[in-house]
Amino acid sequence: MKKSNMGKKLKPVLFHLFAATVGFFMVYPLLWTVASSFKHNSEIFVNSYSLVPERWAIAENYTTGWKGISGISFGTFLLNSFIVSALGTIGGVLCSMLAAYAFSRVKFIGRNFWFMCVIITLMVPNQVMIVPQYIIFKRLDLINKLQSLIIPWFFGSAFFIFLMVQFIRGIPVELDEAATIDGCGKLSIFFRIILPLLTPAIATCTIFSFYWIWQDFFQPLIFMSKPKYFTVSLALNMYLDPNSFSNYGALFAMSVVSVLPVIVLFIMFQKYLVEGIATTGLKG
Amino acid sequence: MKLLAKKRKNGIENLTGYILILPWLFGFLLLYLVPMLSSVYFSFTNYNLLNEPKFIGLDNYRRMLFNDPTFWKSLGVTFYYVFALVPLRLAFALFIAVLLNTKMKFLGVYRAAYYIPSIVGGSVAVSIVWRQMFGNNGVLMSFLKLIGIHQEVSFIGNPFTAIWTIILLGVWQFGSSMLIFLAALKQIPQSLYESAMIDGANMWQKFTKITLPMLTPIIFFNLVLQTINGFRAFTESFIVTQGGPLDSTLLYVLYLYRRAFTYFDMGYSCALAWVLVGIIAVMTLLIFRSQTTWVYYESKEGE
Amino acid sequence: MKKVSLSLMSMLLVLSLFIAGCSQARDVDEVKTEPTKAAAGETEEESSAKPVVLSITWWGSQTRHDYTTKLLEMYSEKNPHVTFESTPSGWDGYFDKLAAQAAGNTMPDIIQMDNLYIATYTKNKTIADLYPFVSDKILDLSDVPEAMVKTGEIDGKLTGAILSSTALTVPYNPDVFAEAGVPEPTPNWTWSEFEEAMLAIKDKTEKYGYASDVLTDTNLLTYWIRQYGKSLYSEDGTELGYDDDQIFVDYLKMLYRLTKSGAMPTADEWMQIATKGKEARPVVTGDAGAMFEWANFGVIVESVNPNLKLAIPPYADNGTKALWIKPGMFFSVAESSSNKAEAARFISWFINDIEANKIINTERGIPVASKVKEALKPQLTKQQMAMFDYLDLAANEHAGPVSPPEPAGSAEVTKAMADQINLVLYDKKTPEQAAADFRKAANEILARNAQN
Repeated sequence: MKKSNMGKKLKPVLFHLFAATVGFFMVYPLLWTVASSFKHNSEIFVNSYSLVPERWAIAENYTTGWKGISGISFGTFLLNSFIVSALGTIGGVLCSMLAAYAFSRVKFIGRNFWFMCVIITLMVPNQVMIVPQYIIFKRLDLINKLQSLIIPWFFGSAFFIFLMVQFIRGIPVELDEAATIDGCGKLSIFFRIILPLLTPAIATCTIFSFYWIWQDFFQPLIFMSKPKYFTVSLALNMYLDPNSFSNYGALFAMSVVSVLPVIVLFIMFQKYLVEGIATTGLKG
Repeated sequence: MKLLAKKRKNGIENLTGYILILPWLFGFLLLYLVPMLSSVYFSFTNYNLLNEPKFIGLDNYRRMLFNDPTFWKSLGVTFYYVFALVPLRLAFALFIAVLLNTKMKFLGVYRAAYYIPSIVGGSVAVSIVWRQMFGNNGVLMSFLKLIGIHQEVSFIGNPFTAIWTIILLGVWQFGSSMLIFLAALKQIPQSLYESAMIDGANMWQKFTKITLPMLTPIIFFNLVLQTINGFRAFTESFIVTQGGPLDSTLLYVLYLYRRAFTYFDMGYSCALAWVLVGIIAVMTLLIFRSQTTWVYYESKEGE
Repeated sequence: MKKVSLSLMSMLLVLSLFIAGCSQARDVDEVKTEPTKAAAGETEEESSAKPVVLSITWWGSQTRHDYTTKLLEMYSEKNPHVTFESTPSGWDGYFDKLAAQAAGNTMPDIIQMDNLYIATYTKNKTIADLYPFVSDKILDLSDVPEAMVKTGEIDGKLTGAILSSTALTVPYNPDVFAEAGVPEPTPNWTWSEFEEAMLAIKDKTEKYGYASDVLTDTNLLTYWIRQYGKSLYSEDGTELGYDDDQIFVDYLKMLYRLTKSGAMPTADEWMQIATKGKEARPVVTGDAGAMFEWANFGVIVESVNPNLKLAIPPYADNGTKALWIKPGMFFSVAESSSNKAEAARFISWFINDIEANKIINTERGIPVASKVKEALKPQLTKQQMAMFDYLDLAANEHAGPVSPPEPAGSAEVTKAMADQINLVLYDKKTPEQAAADFRKAANEILARNAQN
């Protein structure tokens, strides 16, 4: 009796010990960045092991960083990133959802061929596609507008399509069949049966999508030339020049600021992962 | 009558299918097909981006196979990286996901903490911290000294071990795979577990007979994606080691990128890209083929 | 029901695109300059005064972006028909983007250009020849020493207008030297004296004698080779410019000796040092005696350690003057630009205007116009003055002929050099083998690039 009681009390303790230790290693670089953003420039690399600044420079770093580039405040960059990420995510997840449903539940000619194309787009490295894509966008006169960063997402994303296809295939077909008997068409099956069960997948895709678009550097680099349309990822890069004095304190301060929205979004959406609607499954 | 009805049903299904994938299809044709075909063409040319491409036939491919030891080196490094990283990362992600799929306090905090590495992934901070952690005065060296192992060269400076610092960086970012597993775990019907408990199953049996089989579509998904992404890895070696020391961490895509933009050798870079696509396609095909033997789908609809 | 859901979705999509479009119209802080009055048809004395928008791009850090923007505003005030569209950037990705723009034919009018890339861009006819503007007196380079002007000349065309100059130097920490009891460098010291000093510092203080980067560029090697009257690259850039591999072997042996004795960090140790900013270099923090850098190093780290001094790099025993004055950066004009004259006029102002240069304050390097240098002297800090003095000393007494710009393929050759140096330092090759392999690799690379 006593043993099992001890066991019960020990389990949570061990769990938390393990989880917290792993957690610390996970979070350490972020802690380091935050700590460095509090330090004065002269100290950041010299006193890099301590997480506690000797010479505090919070106000200095954050205000200098916020001033941004060439008179455009960092707030503008945040706004741009937010617009691009939010709209791109809405478009991407929406579009991928529909396509995923089609690939997994709708029998149409050429389905396998097009699905193979989806997978192929996952394989080609971005670096060789970007210059032809740039030229195409230039012909469409979409360069230098935020649309050029948003619109591609409205065509869906192979990653999300594939992910949702796999999730949908985990949903029993019998549910579909039952709904068909009740007189539902393909699309209403989607909205009434599949969609509710897909919530965890949708939440996951939303988190991924937002974060990926937020931190993408290469695309905005090539497509944007006007600083007022720069995204955060691009702006952060402009604080560094290896041949002159770089203000690392300001850079880290703004890095911290730029990571916050993603973390907030994650915390907001993760409960949908937790409270995924439990399937009642099949009876018997 | 029946035949006509069936044809009509098929017609509607075809139409529905195409309407649903229309946005994707449009994007694919415009933003992928054309660039892909262009880059295939470039691979047969000498192209430095600043001038018109000049057709040179198979010369790029010849140079790659017979006259470029760096190509082979980076290919070897990348294969090693993929075969080490993918199993480690998936196993870790699955383990942590199952662990977190319980009712404990602070779960949300842990979940957030474990996902943070994926968020800060490509930042300057990570590159600096990682180098210092595995460096001469880093945490790892101090720990080894404590237990009596003496190392001359740091892990990150040693051509034999540097790749492991990059692999560990990838494993450290298991958060995204973990999230996907968590979502999948949530989808497994509780009723299955309840019936199993009634039948007297223990934790291990529940895991192997219910959890694992139900997870196989997602394990499959993660396996395919992680393999593809493993071959396409770039940022890790770009920001931490720049491919060094002695090219021991020169991932294939880093080499490809260097060829395209640093050496103004875009034609050759495209050739490298399509060889990579070929390799990834073969690997992916193998994994897809293996589906039938180990993946369990609730819905038996076409594969 | 089907119809309702479909239309709902399409409305959502359209709405999102609409919002995106609206956000463009919103007036965010623009880098626009003074509104042009030229629209009203005002004319000026000089040539055409029709309104012109110049696109300009440069790399740098936050400081540079801020003051350059001010300069653009200043210019527009004085020349109301000119407005600017600027694209500031960090160093990373700057040339990737430029290449993409070249491929898409959207290069900006004015481009900040570096010595590493100017040959490639010139040979592919993507940047314009500025000599016509020099003869038309639009681009005034009369106050710039001719040798420096010529650093931007390739194949007889002036494709880069030099903005600043610099030279290789040995910044050293006098405190570390004093601690080791080693005399400070003199302007004519030799490599043997250098090695002696470095080893002594290591012996007496356990600190590095010399902690510097020998891998990411070929500048130190170039300096070394010039001491034997040769150059790294041949005149036409299609092969190496020196025949005797022993030169490279001696260089490798010296690096090897210093590394093995601990007077120089190992490649692995340097890699970790290099991750931190310049302010954390061992010379600055007092953990090393000296290093090789460009002449503006003292200025860059002045706020952290104002006591560094600049020494002339060591001489070989044959006493050849191997130093050269290197262009810091250029402004080039895109060949596709339709505003070349206006661009040239702006560049001329940038180089010669005293008010403008007071704002630039040597941040881009030492100004090249002599009147500007004189005018700046009163406002210089201690390290800036030291930099000016160093460059005068170098130019007048220690410099040889100017080095030509790096040829096409130089990035790959640099990597080949780094590979061979690494192999030697990691004990995987003998210096003799490395020198021979480097020759093979470099010549193949240069030949292949010359075909383009």
